[in-house]
Amino acid sequence: MRTKLFVLALAATAFLTAPASADKLDDIISSGKLRCAVVLDFPPMGSRDADNNPVGFDVDYCNDLAKALGVEAEIVETPFPERIPALMSGRVDVGVASTSDTLERAKTVGMSIPYFAFEMAVTANDEAGISSFEDMKGKVVGAVAGTFEGIALEAQVNEWGEGEYRPYQTQADVFLALSQGQIDATVSTSTVAQANVKSGKFSGISVAGKAPFDTDYVALFTNREEYGFLNYLNLFVNQQVRTGRYAELYEKYVGGDLPELTVPNVYR
Amino acid sequence: MFDTALTTSDLLFMAKGAGMTLAVTGIAVAAGTLLGIVLGVVRVQLGPVWSAPLTFLLDIFRSVPLLIQLVLGNAFQAIAQFGWEPFTTSCVILSLYTAAYCTEIVRGAIDAVPATTRRAARSLGLNWSQDMGYIVAPLAARIAMPSWIGLTLGVLKDSSLILWLGMIELLRASQIVITRLQEPLFILMICGLIYFLLSFPIARLGGYLEKRWSPND
Amino acid sequence: MPQLLEGALVTLEIAVLSMVIGLFIAVLFTLFRLSGIRVLNAFAVSWIEIARNTPALFQIYMAHFGLGSFGIHLSPYAALLAGIAFNNAGYLSENFRGALKAIPDTQTRAGRSLGMTWLQSFRLIVMPQMLRVAFLPMTNQMVWAILMTSLGVTVGMNTDLAGITQALNARSFRTFEFFAIAAVIYYIIAKIVTLGARLIASRMFRY
Repeated sequence: MRTKLFVLALAATAFLTAPASADKLDDIISSGKLRCAVVLDFPPMGSRDADNNPVGFDVDYCNDLAKALGVEAEIVETPFPERIPALMSGRVDVGVASTSDTLERAKTVGMSIPYFAFEMAVTANDEAGISSFEDMKGKVVGAVAGTFEGIALEAQVNEWGEGEYRPYQTQADVFLALSQGQIDATVSTSTVAQANVKSGKFSGISVAGKAPFDTDYVALFTNREEYGFLNYLNLFVNQQVRTGRYAELYEKYVGGDLPELTVPNVYR
Repeated sequence: MFDTALTTSDLLFMAKGAGMTLAVTGIAVAAGTLLGIVLGVVRVQLGPVWSAPLTFLLDIFRSVPLLIQLVLGNAFQAIAQFGWEPFTTSCVILSLYTAAYCTEIVRGAIDAVPATTRRAARSLGLNWSQDMGYIVAPLAARIAMPSWIGLTLGVLKDSSLILWLGMIELLRASQIVITRLQEPLFILMICGLIYFLLSFPIARLGGYLEKRWSPND
Repeated sequence: MPQLLEGALVTLEIAVLSMVIGLFIAVLFTLFRLSGIRVLNAFAVSWIEIARNTPALFQIYMAHFGLGSFGIHLSPYAALLAGIAFNNAGYLSENFRGALKAIPDTQTRAGRSLGMTWLQSFRLIVMPQMLRVAFLPMTNQMVWAILMTSLGVTVGMNTDLAGITQALNARSFRTFEFFAIAAVIYYIIAKIVTLGARLIASRMFRY
């Protein structure tokens, strides 16, 4: 009787622990589906075309990753503040969402090597009379909640001690608020600023200059304990650059000088 | 304003969003009502003291913003590793939310059936389930109907909050179209119109039933 | 935690203000409806129907971005307040309409025959009774107003309870903990309001 119970218990333990032994990389390949968190109001990285289908650099990057893995790509739209929660709640497998690789975030998720780099630019409403970063002092400014530039801008406004900072949930809302004059200026990545100003959909806004924030290196991210998958992601980013696909996508969506993805004088 | 870049495919996209709104509302109201009826009867049968834990539990759903409930529910299912799709999470939370309100409505309606009527039924030899089925249910249903319709409308509107979990329902679909076209006022007005068209008939039906069923008040 | 409590105060402040404004408009609308002047009545009815048949989130979004395209700029605080007040006014008017049914016409007529003007008889006879009958639905609306303030996050509100919670969440991603605390605070506020209202009711409305 006792042996029987013991065997039963052993079988139960084996059954319970068995699914955990396959890691995320295996899970994705066996499920045949790669779910990517992508931000879709962030042209040219992610947006929607005339039929409201997802397009953009990040969308293609996700498709490439899925192709490399030999699975089907599924784009899951997430607003900026929801990118990491979406991963944590198991709605997506990987974030291809122009996510800055901050140390704070690395406490929660695992970051790959950088796959893109942004410079920050100030975009202002023409009526606000802002022509540089310093001019924003005392004005009403806004950015996307929880982003690299949002956090930096909020800190800057607090340091100035005057003016007001408003966090919005999406990049689209920020530019909408900016063109309506609800806020006087915003700090965003220069690619996004250029794309939105050039699109001609927003009247009365223009890029006012560079913001003195560090270059924003962005990385793919997944669960921090999934070393196998992270390893794969790192190699994938490397391969994208090596094969010229990175340059190709950059030319297609952004154009101009290809940003360096490495930091001088240090490894990784 | 009439010079718009809005295309038929955008309208279809918004209509699809409205379909999602209706689907989630339908599931939540159906499941919530069933659960609400069961819990409502349980509450009445147990009396106020024994059902206090249940009352407290349901009270939480009515005293915490739905937005917070959805975020919490989603975080919880992730921690518990249920692996639910956002659609499932949305439906479960909205159903529980509906059930919490529906329980109150059902309890109120059953309590509103005069005790003398019920005692008369029992004296005639009807057992508990017959009394419930033939006497209480029809009377209580009439009393509960207006509030229940109000609840359905409430859920229809509150379902807009599931956009927080990444669901593309009517309001989110409108936001997406706004992002592309930058005509916020026009598109928001269409969105409002669709909501109005969805809920106004239900509201009218409610008003009609209220009038028809309470001619003597 | 102290941040969250500060946020709770802002939440309460918006809820109370929106209630006061909503009440004021609702009483006005009740007058409009009773007045029999067609334009006023139509205005009140369309406001009420829109407020009751579209989501609160939609109304707040409209107050911020919809009005924004006319060049009317409301701060997130004002937009949230306007949206909820708009919503409150609609629902409260409907409550008053129901409550009015409980007050017979004959009372107004009696008031008139005592030499009161129509407005006087409304203010002195009908309104106090109306508010009394509608007191419980009003309490519910107050709780609703508190819960609705959480929607301000969508228009860039970062000082109320939900806004602060979301800001903390965006920084550390400890979603469950922060939102659980927020939920508890909301629950406590809602309970205090309900109990407080019951206490007031038992004091004020003794027959």
